[in-house]
Amino acid sequence: MSAVPPRPPTAMGLDAARRVDLDVREEVRSGQEPFSRIMAAVSALLPGQALVIRAPFEPVPLYRALGQRGFAHWTEQRAADDWSVWFYLRQLTIDVRELEPPEPMLRVFDALETLAPGQHLEVRHNRRPVFLYPQLEERGFTHETDEPEEGIVRIVIRRREETPG
Amino acid sequence: MMRPSTILPLAYLATAAAFFAAAMASMPWLANELAGHYYHPRVLALTHVVTLGWITMSILGASYQLIPIVLERPLWSERLARVQLGVLLVGVVGMAAHFWLGTWPGLLAAGGLVALGVGMHLVNVTVSLRGLQRWTLTARLVVLGQAGLGLTAMFGLTLALNHALPVFSWARFPALHAHVHLALGWWIAPMLLGVSARVYPMFLVAPEPARTLGRVQFWGLAGGVPLLVVGLIAAPSLVVPGALALCAAAGSHVVGICSMVRGRKRPSLDWGLRFALTASGFLVLGVAAGLGLALDLVSGPRVALAYAVLLLGGWTSLSIVGMALKIAPFLVWYRVYGPLVGTRAVPGLAALGSPRAEAAAWALLTAGFLSLAGAAAAGNALWILVSAVSVALGVLAFAASLARVLAHLRAPAPPAESVRISIAKATGAKAHTPKVHTQ
Repeated sequence: MSAVPPRPPTAMGLDAARRVDLDVREEVRSGQEPFSRIMAAVSALLPGQALVIRAPFEPVPLYRALGQRGFAHWTEQRAADDWSVWFYLRQLTIDVRELEPPEPMLRVFDALETLAPGQHLEVRHNRRPVFLYPQLEERGFTHETDEPEEGIVRIVIRRREETPG
Repeated sequence: MMRPSTILPLAYLATAAAFFAAAMASMPWLANELAGHYYHPRVLALTHVVTLGWITMSILGASYQLIPIVLERPLWSERLARVQLGVLLVGVVGMAAHFWLGTWPGLLAAGGLVALGVGMHLVNVTVSLRGLQRWTLTARLVVLGQAGLGLTAMFGLTLALNHALPVFSWARFPALHAHVHLALGWWIAPMLLGVSARVYPMFLVAPEPARTLGRVQFWGLAGGVPLLVVGLIAAPSLVVPGALALCAAAGSHVVGICSMVRGRKRPSLDWGLRFALTASGFLVLGVAAGLGLALDLVSGPRVALAYAVLLLGGWTSLSIVGMALKIAPFLVWYRVYGPLVGTRAVPGLAALGSPRAEAAAWALLTAGFLSLAGAAAAGNALWILVSAVSVALGVLAFAASLARVLAHLRAPAPPAESVRISIAKATGAKAHTPKVHTQ
């Protein structure tokens, strides 16, 4: 175990609407395979929702399986046979193209507040937000901007310490 | 990336508003002069306070906010722009005073200061533009506007020099008309159209108009003004083609605005947008008057003055008031409340101004300028007086709303460290729990 990661804000008081709980402890103890139930729960997740799986051991194989689907995880060991694992998408996406200034800036900082460790924010805008960039930099975020297609400006925002390179 | 300056554009906008208030407050006392020929020292003084003090200062202020947005880079030198504000302030006050007194040597000196200020601005924008790769409609119109500003200043200075020391034998009034149309068509119009192309889709939340309309605007102005100016000075046959090209530019601008209004996703319009849209109505009236003058359907100094009131008062001033009511609250909000976003509740833009004052300003200015155009055309001093009082009260209401917005600058911002701590607290960056691990 390396450095202790911060607890994601999603784990500090997420309302019921944004949290899907799945307890598979009894299922595993009775010898059943919970994988299909887990994947069904993952498929049913709505944007911004996190899946919280409770298992009797650390479900390491799930890290890779869900990691391939864009999920990051955060694990908490409550007891020797009680583990909670939070799965949430690495990327949050918000579209602010139809908002009047300064609403896009407010939405971006709202979204950044809920950003979990390892997660980044993708903002879809209709212009380069030159007034936003300095604010992001002052608050410890990095940003990359490109234009994947005409009329869409994409800004990817990460915590500075999580920025590759 | 450097934080774009907010105080610089606000300083220009506040200075411009002060000139606007001074000019419009003096207008009721100039009712008799306005009922006569426009070539009167005091009318010329009033005109230059409006065109240089109000319109040009506002456009420069808006440019310093928009250049980082349009060009996606900061202004080359904010210090130069600050010094330039002082130079222009002294120059414009000097010009107005010397026009009023009718003293030409002093006018030349003050005009030289204004030209110096214009030169400083052009250097700043030219260096800022260096290496620009995305030549949008707004960027092209801004460049046209800068060229027009420089040429208008040089033309004005030449007119003043020629008055003191006659070199050119051109007729006074056609040259004066050429100077006015150079300012209107190559400085004011491209800047207003360029800014509109950028900010109207943003504030109306509407799709950008068809590109063809933008091309007609650019080429209509770029080609129409030289034809009109040369036509007025030396080749009268070019006046009508020039006027038609300008009509095409104005028409495509109005059509573009109508398409954005129809396609907007923002159902309600605030007063800033209502001002800007009302201004388009004045543009239609002004262009119709201008076409009437070009085609000799109407003529005379009174109609010419009414034409100037429709375009400088109705179209330009209402456009600028509308944009100021959008730009100033954003700049103040960004400066005072931007750093607090994410740490605590912050007021919205609408809460910064005074919608009641803005509504009063809209009613008084719209009715005032419309009435003033009619009164100027009729040459009726009493009617001019009543209209001028309406305009002056409208400016007062506008200034009150702007002052209320600017008063938020006095709100104390928290020290940077406390903002960082709040952000860390909000994102949980410093919190950690034992018995936790991740991938």
